[in-house]
Amino acid sequence: MRSINPAIKFVSLLAMTFFLAYRFDPVLNFAVFFLSLVILIASGVGIKRLCLFMIPVLIVAAGMFFTGYRFSAGHSMPVTADAFLVSDSRWWNGLAQAGRVLAYGGLGFVFALTTDRLFLIRSFKDQFHLPQIFVYGLLAAWGIVPHMMQEYKRTRAAFRARGLSVLPVSPALLKPLLIKSVRWSEELAIAMESKGFSGHEKRTDYAPVKVRIRDFFFLAACVALMVAAAFLR
Amino acid sequence: MSIQLDHIHFTYFEDRKDLLPGFSASFSSSEITVLTGASGCGKSTLLYLAAGIYPHGAGILREGTVRVEGEDPAKLTPPRRCALVGMMFQNPELQFCMDTVKNELVFCLENICMDPSDMDGVIDEALEFSGVLHLKERTLISLSGGERQKVMLACLMALRPKWLLLDEPFANIDDRSARTIAAKLKEMNRVYGTGILAVDHRLDNWLEAADTIRVMEDGQLRPEVMTPDSLDPDVLESLGVIVPGHSYRPDIPPVKEGKTVLTLEHLSVHHKNEPVLTDVTAAFKAGHIYAIVGPSGCGKSTLFGALSGIFPYKGKAFLEGKDLKKLKKTDLGKIGFVTQNPQDQFVADTVRDEIMVGLKDKDTAPQVSEQVLRGIRLWRYRDISPYMLSQGQQRRLGVAALMAYDCHMLVCDEPTYAQDRRNTKAIMDGLCSQARERGVALLFSTHDRQLAADYADEIWELKEGSLHAFHQSGH
Repeated sequence: MRSINPAIKFVSLLAMTFFLAYRFDPVLNFAVFFLSLVILIASGVGIKRLCLFMIPVLIVAAGMFFTGYRFSAGHSMPVTADAFLVSDSRWWNGLAQAGRVLAYGGLGFVFALTTDRLFLIRSFKDQFHLPQIFVYGLLAAWGIVPHMMQEYKRTRAAFRARGLSVLPVSPALLKPLLIKSVRWSEELAIAMESKGFSGHEKRTDYAPVKVRIRDFFFLAACVALMVAAAFLR
Repeated sequence: MSIQLDHIHFTYFEDRKDLLPGFSASFSSSEITVLTGASGCGKSTLLYLAAGIYPHGAGILREGTVRVEGEDPAKLTPPRRCALVGMMFQNPELQFCMDTVKNELVFCLENICMDPSDMDGVIDEALEFSGVLHLKERTLISLSGGERQKVMLACLMALRPKWLLLDEPFANIDDRSARTIAAKLKEMNRVYGTGILAVDHRLDNWLEAADTIRVMEDGQLRPEVMTPDSLDPDVLESLGVIVPGHSYRPDIPPVKEGKTVLTLEHLSVHHKNEPVLTDVTAAFKAGHIYAIVGPSGCGKSTLFGALSGIFPYKGKAFLEGKDLKKLKKTDLGKIGFVTQNPQDQFVADTVRDEIMVGLKDKDTAPQVSEQVLRGIRLWRYRDISPYMLSQGQQRRLGVAALMAYDCHMLVCDEPTYAQDRRNTKAIMDGLCSQARERGVALLFSTHDRQLAADYADEIWELKEGSLHAFHQSGH
C-alpha cells in the first residue's frame, strides 16, 4: 500500500468515500472499515498507534450511533425512510450512521498512515501538475513545523518562569509564534532563492513519480469493490 | 574576477538616512576576505546587495552599481544567480526546504537543470568534500548546527558558484566545526578558484583561512588592510570587533561568599530514547558567575530547557532546597531565563508592561518600572510592543524584565549570541554586575572561551552528557 502512487490512491479512496455517502448500508460501512483495518495492519502500521488514532473516531461513531438510534424515521421525526437516508428501524439507523463514521475514518487512515509526505507532494506535482512554487512552499512550511513546536514550548516556559498561567491556545502564546513564523518564512524564501529556486524557471526532475501498472490495479480494485457493492447490496 | 561596488547609497526606509552612504569597494576572488565591524555598520546589507537579494528583497538602492564578475546579480534569475553567487546564512536551521540531506542536494541540482544521471556523482562528491557523506540519508532536523552548516557547504559545493558569500556562518556552531568549515572554504578558494567574502564579528575562527581582513565603520570601508598576522587590536577593539586572544576587560565587582541557590543531582535527559545528558551534578552559589562551554549539540540548551520545564528530566534539581518540579507559583520567578533570542521571553504587549509583570503586586510598580526603563534607556518606547525594538534594545529589556523579579538564579543561554564586542561587553558587564550586587547566581552558556574566562568564577565543560569543572578564573 505504501508504494501505491499517492495521487492514484487519493483519487481511488476519494471516489470510495463519495460512493459510501450515497449508500445507506451498515454492512457495507462495517465491511469497508474492517477491510481498512486489515490493509493498515498489513502495511505495517503499529496496533498501538492505530488504537490511539482510533479513539476520537470511536467516540464520534458512538455519538453518531446514539443520534441515529434516537432520530430514526417516524420516531417523532418529520421524515420518512423513502425521502431520506434514514431507516425506520432504530438499531439499523444507528449502526448505519456509526458505520459511516468508521468507514470514513478507516479510509482516511489508510491514506494518511500509508503515504509518505514527500512522495505525496511529488506525486501531486507530477500527476496533477501542481505549481512548483506551491509544492516546494508546502515542503518548506512542513520543515518549519518542528521549529514552531519548539518555539511554542519555549514561549510557554517563558510565561511559566514569570509566574503567569495561560491556556494552551491563548493568543498571548500564539502571538509570538505568528511573528516568528513571518520572519522564518522570509528567511526560508531567501535561502530557497539563493539555491536557484524561482518557481517559474524550468527544472529537471531527479526521480519523477510515475503511474505504474500496480497503481492502475489498485484503482481497478477500488472500482470493482464499488461496482460489486452496488450490485450485491 | 571580482566583486565591484561603486558609490552605493542604500537605505531600508525612504525617510531615513543611508545605511551605506556612498560605499565603494572591490574584492578579489583570488583571496578570502573577511569583513568585520560593529553591529549595524552595514556589513550584512552589503553582502545581501552583492548576492542580489537586495534591493529586490528589501530596502532602496538610491544610487550606485553592484557588479559580480561584471554582472548585476539583482537582474539575474535565481538559477543564473546561484551559478554566480552562493550564500551561507547565520541560522543553519532556516536554510533547507527538504527533509533529508540527499533530497536537499537534489533540490539544488534540479534548480540548475542538471541532468539527473549526473546528480548522484555530484552529490557524493560534494558530501565527501564537506566530510558528511555518512549523513547522506539522514533527516536535516536530526543534525546538529555544525553538521547543518557542513551540509550547506556541500550544497554550495554542488552548485559551484563563482563567489561564496557568508553571513556570520559560525555564529551558531562550536569552534571545532567552524575551523573545519573554514579549512574547507580555503580549499574551495585555492583549488576551485571560488571567491570568498565573509562577514563576521569574531575573527578567531578565520585566522588560519583568511587572507585579508577589512573593517567597516558607519557604512564605509576603513582604509586599513589587515592580514591575520598583522591585526591591529586597538583599531579592531575601538570599532567593536572581537579580537582573538584579547580580554574583554570585565568591569564587575569582586565575588563574595554566598549560599547555594541551585543544586543538580544526577540529572539526565533523553531525547527520543537517546541520552543527551546522562549525569549532571553541580551546585551554584549566590553572587557567583558560572559559564558552561562545550561543542554544538553537547546538551547546553537541553540542560537549560530541562531547568525551565521544556524537557522532562530524571534526577533531582533543588532551588533553595525546594524541588524544582514542585515549585509554587510564587517561587517560579526566582529562577529567570535569558534566552538566545530575547523575543522568546516576552510575555506582555508593551515595553512597560513587560517590566510591570514582575512588579504587579507592589504599590511602587509604576515608579520602579519607570526607573528601570530610564536606566536601560527605553522609557521613550514604553508604550510600543517589545517586538518593535531593535535587537540590542530587546536584549536590554529582556534582562531588565527578569531582574525586576526577586530573581535568585539567572540562567542565560548564549546571552551574547551574534553581538559585536561592544554589545557583548555591555551585556555581560550589566548581567554580571547585577548578579554580584543582588547576590544572584548567574549561569551562562557560550562558545566564546575568552568570554567565559573573563567573566566566570567557574567554567564548566559539558561533555559526554555530564558537567566537568576545569577552570577557576579567580575573580
